[in-house]
Amino acid sequence: MSKDLSYATSHRKKALILSIIPGLGQLYNKQFLKGASFLIMSAAFFYVFYDLLNIGLWGLVTLGEIPFTDHSIFLLVYGILALIVLVFGIGFYLFNLRDAYKVGLSRDNHEPISTVKEQYRNLIDNGFPYLIMSPGFLLLVFVVVFPILFVLLLAFTNYDLYHSPPAKLVDWVLFKNFVDIFKVDMWRQTFFSVLSWTLVWTFVATTFQVALGIFLAIIVNQKEIKGKAIIRTVFILPWAVPAFVSILVFAGMFNESFGAINRDILGFLGIEGLPWMTEPIFTRIALIFMQTWLGFPFIFAMTTGVLQSISQDLYEAATVDGASNFQKFKNITLPLVLYAIAPVLITQYTFNFNNFNIIYLFNGGGPAITGQNAGGTDIIISWIYRLTMTSAQYSKAATLTMLLSIIVITVAIWQFRRTKSFQEEDMM
Amino acid sequence: MKKQNFVRLTLTYLVVLIMFVIILYPLAWIIGSSFNPGQSLSGSSIIPENATLAHYKELFDTSKSNYVYWYINSLKVSILTMLFTVILVSFTAYSFSRYRFVGRKNGLMTFLILQMIPNFAALIAIYILAMLTHLIDTHLGLILVYVGGQIPMNTWLMKGYLDTIPKELDESAKIDGAGHLRIFFQIVMPLATPIIAVVALFSFIAPFADFIVASILLRTEKNYTLAVGLYELVAKQFGAEFTTFAAGAVLIAVPIAILFLSFQRFFVSGLTAGGTKG
Amino acid sequence: MKKALSIFMMVVLVLGVLAACGPKRETAGTNDTGKKEETAKPEKLVVWEDKDKSGWLEKVAADFEKEYGIKIEYKEVEMATKMRDQLRLDGPAGTGPDVVTLPHDQIGQVVTEGLLAELKLDKEVTDKFSQSSIDAETYDGKVYGLPKSSETPVFVYNKDLMAEAPKTMDELYTFSKDFTKDGKFGFLALWDNFYFAYGIIGGMGGYVFNNNNGTLDPEDIGLNSKGAVDGTAYIQKWYSEGLFPNGIIGENGGSAMDGLFTEGKVAAVMNGPWSFQPYKDAGINIGVSALPTLPNGDHVKTFMGVKGWHVSAYSKNQEWAAKFLEFITNDENAKYRFEQTAEVPTNTALVDDPAIKENEGAKAVAEQSQYALPMPNIPEMGQVWDPMAKSLQTVVTGKTEPKAALDSSVEQIKANIASTK
Repeated sequence: MSKDLSYATSHRKKALILSIIPGLGQLYNKQFLKGASFLIMSAAFFYVFYDLLNIGLWGLVTLGEIPFTDHSIFLLVYGILALIVLVFGIGFYLFNLRDAYKVGLSRDNHEPISTVKEQYRNLIDNGFPYLIMSPGFLLLVFVVVFPILFVLLLAFTNYDLYHSPPAKLVDWVLFKNFVDIFKVDMWRQTFFSVLSWTLVWTFVATTFQVALGIFLAIIVNQKEIKGKAIIRTVFILPWAVPAFVSILVFAGMFNESFGAINRDILGFLGIEGLPWMTEPIFTRIALIFMQTWLGFPFIFAMTTGVLQSISQDLYEAATVDGASNFQKFKNITLPLVLYAIAPVLITQYTFNFNNFNIIYLFNGGGPAITGQNAGGTDIIISWIYRLTMTSAQYSKAATLTMLLSIIVITVAIWQFRRTKSFQEEDMM
Repeated sequence: MKKQNFVRLTLTYLVVLIMFVIILYPLAWIIGSSFNPGQSLSGSSIIPENATLAHYKELFDTSKSNYVYWYINSLKVSILTMLFTVILVSFTAYSFSRYRFVGRKNGLMTFLILQMIPNFAALIAIYILAMLTHLIDTHLGLILVYVGGQIPMNTWLMKGYLDTIPKELDESAKIDGAGHLRIFFQIVMPLATPIIAVVALFSFIAPFADFIVASILLRTEKNYTLAVGLYELVAKQFGAEFTTFAAGAVLIAVPIAILFLSFQRFFVSGLTAGGTKG
Repeated sequence: MKKALSIFMMVVLVLGVLAACGPKRETAGTNDTGKKEETAKPEKLVVWEDKDKSGWLEKVAADFEKEYGIKIEYKEVEMATKMRDQLRLDGPAGTGPDVVTLPHDQIGQVVTEGLLAELKLDKEVTDKFSQSSIDAETYDGKVYGLPKSSETPVFVYNKDLMAEAPKTMDELYTFSKDFTKDGKFGFLALWDNFYFAYGIIGGMGGYVFNNNNGTLDPEDIGLNSKGAVDGTAYIQKWYSEGLFPNGIIGENGGSAMDGLFTEGKVAAVMNGPWSFQPYKDAGINIGVSALPTLPNGDHVKTFMGVKGWHVSAYSKNQEWAAKFLEFITNDENAKYRFEQTAEVPTNTALVDDPAIKENEGAKAVAEQSQYALPMPNIPEMGQVWDPMAKSLQTVVTGKTEPKAALDSSVEQIKANIASTK
């Protein structure tokens, strides 16, 4: 309050208050072009979005009132769109208030008000990053944020087969789904059994593919090895073939009675039909083997790159000091490689955590095991798919998605914070 | 010492040889199946007795199969996805690397993490959104979804690369009076070729892995992409056409593999620059 | 203080805005009341027919247009899952069809969701079809569709490997014991799939839901009754003795079995009428008959599936759509459809029609249908498939004993039904 006293005029306050209707404050500040465009933009905003906001917000709260006329899920979508539009609107509104206040403040300080030309330059200079990012940002809002909001809200409804529009309305049930998952025996057992396999799968499959990739890159990089180009080309092939093709082919090869693995390879070695598709532990082994096959080339390519950029001087110095090959590997190569590819490693782990394609395409999450709602190799994401697509348990699937997200987000934040890319924010 | 080296090299070659077998066997098997007569998996062998081109012919016969349409659709979707992704990602990555703005610190990480949340439960919402915007059964809708999905990860990769390009370059250009866009297009982008190549490749192949979103958004069989179309060939519980699938798969895998191999040198410089120079 | 006050004001404002929101409606529920006697004739009706089956509509749609002046626009949509999924989405979006076709076991579910319109039909229309097929299209006492065809698994054999179809399962067993070696199989069936397995389980006395004078009781599940256990034990025998290979178990079992049969490595299979044409196309000289009788002397009680035509609840032209249904299922058009698609209609007038009577496949399906049971069409059935598939799979791979496995699936079915109510 006391600060106000130091100004003789109070343009900033008047401009701020007038800006409750966007544009008026700018007009008051004699920025006519800006003021007019703000006014027109706000009017246009309400004209274009009035219906969406009206129906959307109402729908979000009630989820519809009359079966057959109101479709709860459509209303939920309208509601989320209305929210997104509203956030943009409020953002613009706040910007308008701030702008009016700031310009008013300059007037109070008897600073010159910027001309239209200056405003334009200013917009280009400070707004440039916003300007070039906005298309990407908008797309992200609708492709990434919008579905997540939908799932988040869905987790608090009772949307399933028996509460399905148009015959029935969907209702908000707050935390019932979360409670059910931990309270109802079958859900709880399935959840923990699926979660534990998901974690084992993520950890083992990713570690294997990373270890193999690094190992092969190092041995191929030895200078005595001939034919590096051909070896590297072949090693990249599993990455180059679209993964869904390879997985489906593997599914054929692992067929217990007619697949090449049992019939040709193991048969040749004298091992009789292993139950790849009907015994969970074997399916799991097959899955980990396949993911290693599919995933190592990426790590291999990256590690090769890192190895080629490590200066030979380091090794020569080490040789002079009498280091053995193993010591060189342990103290020079491995730390440098791990340091360089660390950020990529995290994405590999999260990728496998959500690796739906391999689980679904190989054996549909099977083989069956009794006493739970999911198959023997279902990871959380494939279980969610099963719930949505085959048993219409939409809200439970959404709830699981939310539980899954909490895990992913916690781990990812913890990991990303430790990596380089996010620690150099102060570099400028 | 000599002997030790010999053992080491022999072991290395042995490992390489084993890996060759493990890598090439399934691939050879796809190629083999595609020449097998008959439709089933169980009857096909790696070296077919009566090799036939019938499945390839069938794929190219537009009265029997939509494969040609799928192929064209996939190329179209992939190329446009690549184009839009490269443009948008370059812009965002450049902003993140060179400018200060609200949300710079956590914005990228937030999107990277949000993107890890699976959206199966939201497929119906994506469908409704596409319907409201009249993008159902159009490739544009699909491309927009793919591009959106490609932005966070690739922006992150490219930002890491751009950070290694010295800022003194832009600053001296700025002193010489170059505008934002000129610095971006004439100074920074040419230096970022390796990472642009990597982003382009990643975004080009990404659509080939998706058959879920595509099957929700695309309705007419002629509009399918290869992933959806081929998946339906083998996913039928009865009468799966495995050998035709194999032929179709060979025809996608070969060009993509060639693409990969020709981009190979960029992976090295593009993906690891941020790591080693830092 | 100031801040708190302004936040409070904001909240009040937001609540006020929210309370004022909402669509303006004259009176609640106007849409449902007062259906006009005869709605105006629409320009066109949109029809979704099963994949690869729409060829016959070209002629019939033209006939319908000639007679009623309404254009028919038809599109192929795969029937087993996509039809329902797309109706769910396209219906409320207003881009949906007027007429769809669905397998009858989905009716309970889609009616519960409110996707289908009830059909108000004259008795003389429904009387044209066999009673069991009309029952299949009836849910909760109301008719929701007109039957288009019915199908049930039958015995398909390779005439070059098996001279004639055996009369009893015991005969088949002996034949199979003898024939199965060196990668050849005497008889194969997907008995880890409940759809096929039910024939055996039902024939031995098991049941899914008890039938109380026409209504199915979801509380009374007979899948762990003595008959069901016997049936499952019988199924297990074929696998444990190596007559059925493990390679036909699970997701890809169907294509593995088809593959073997079309290569002439299997003498006989149990499969549905949809397989006849692909088998013939593969050059197999097939014979078709009803399934052999079980060791207890009873017939295999296969599931019968009725495919029907339905009117979407979202259709704005329900009366006309219903007229279209009557038109395409009349005896003449049903026969034409049979000739074009080989799917057997359930019109009683056509049972003795030479075209059907002399068709080996259609005859076998008709005979087997006498012993078949329409799949339960109540929505609770949706909770049965998955647990049953699981217990059958663990039984045929020898991991659990029939009784224990069935007890556990019945428990799970009951829990699933209870949790979704």
